[in-house]
Amino acid sequence: MALHSAVKGKLISVIGDEDTCVGFLLGGVGEINKNRHPNFLVVDKNTAVSEIEDCFKRFIKRDDIDIILINQNIAEIIRHVIDNHNSPIPAVLEIPSKDHPYDASKDSILRRAKGMFNPDELL
Amino acid sequence: MAEATEDLDKICNTLDKLTLDALSLMEEEILLKLNVENAMCGGESHLAKARYIMGQNSVSCLQLPTENSPEFSAVAKVYASEDDKLFGEKSYELQLTKKTEDESVQDPVRWFGVLVPQNLNYAQNMFRQALQWAVQAVNVQTQLEQTIIKIQQLKAAKAAVTAK
Repeated sequence: MALHSAVKGKLISVIGDEDTCVGFLLGGVGEINKNRHPNFLVVDKNTAVSEIEDCFKRFIKRDDIDIILINQNIAEIIRHVIDNHNSPIPAVLEIPSKDHPYDASKDSILRRAKGMFNPDELL
Repeated sequence: MAEATEDLDKICNTLDKLTLDALSLMEEEILLKLNVENAMCGGESHLAKARYIMGQNSVSCLQLPTENSPEFSAVAKVYASEDDKLFGEKSYELQLTKKTEDESVQDPVRWFGVLVPQNLNYAQNMFRQALQWAVQAVNVQTQLEQTIIKIQQLKAAKAAVTAK
């Protein structure tokens, strides 16, 4: 415990539907910092794709966020932005939502791993 | 010539090992995400019960803080530490801040009212469990990413040795 007081804790941010955000914020990941910026975004059917993209890019730029939890169906919408994010920090974890169960074939990291076993590349 | 064959053998053996590691990491990642899904489903059904008791709009994003709310710190944070298994990348551990340690921390259950149904507390526990699984999944994912990078580097090295 003494070790942790020297190292600053980093945040987990959430980009998800209402239930996902309410649930994880109930769990305690939510924060409003001194610049009045929240570390979460509730996405509903009226949220614009550009808003989701901008929010994702803002979370990537912040140095106090180390993990981004994003519903898999929302990740599909901004797949091109997520695929361009190659650095290990912040880590992007695709989680299932109430209406969209987990689909391993759509997961960014697993698709990249599966691509390694492409017969053309296996020498 | 013999040296090149020896190098090639070493590279191939390491590639084999890393490929097997990648496969088992992929399986672990999928299992952890299914655990996250189960915990979230449990939490969401408790949220639904709480919503049934308290009313549709009492357990919704209306209770969540917005940009106009006063600032507060997160209860659940992650602490990074260097890990050799991850080839130098960081591994994370979830820590929940106790109220007495930090005054700016508030229990999120308070946003939904003073007297809340037990379902909300059960939902909170389930989502905290989901967070633990999620942090473990992040660690496995980081390990998988680093393994993939190493495999690609070794494939390039193998191609260079074979071309000679």
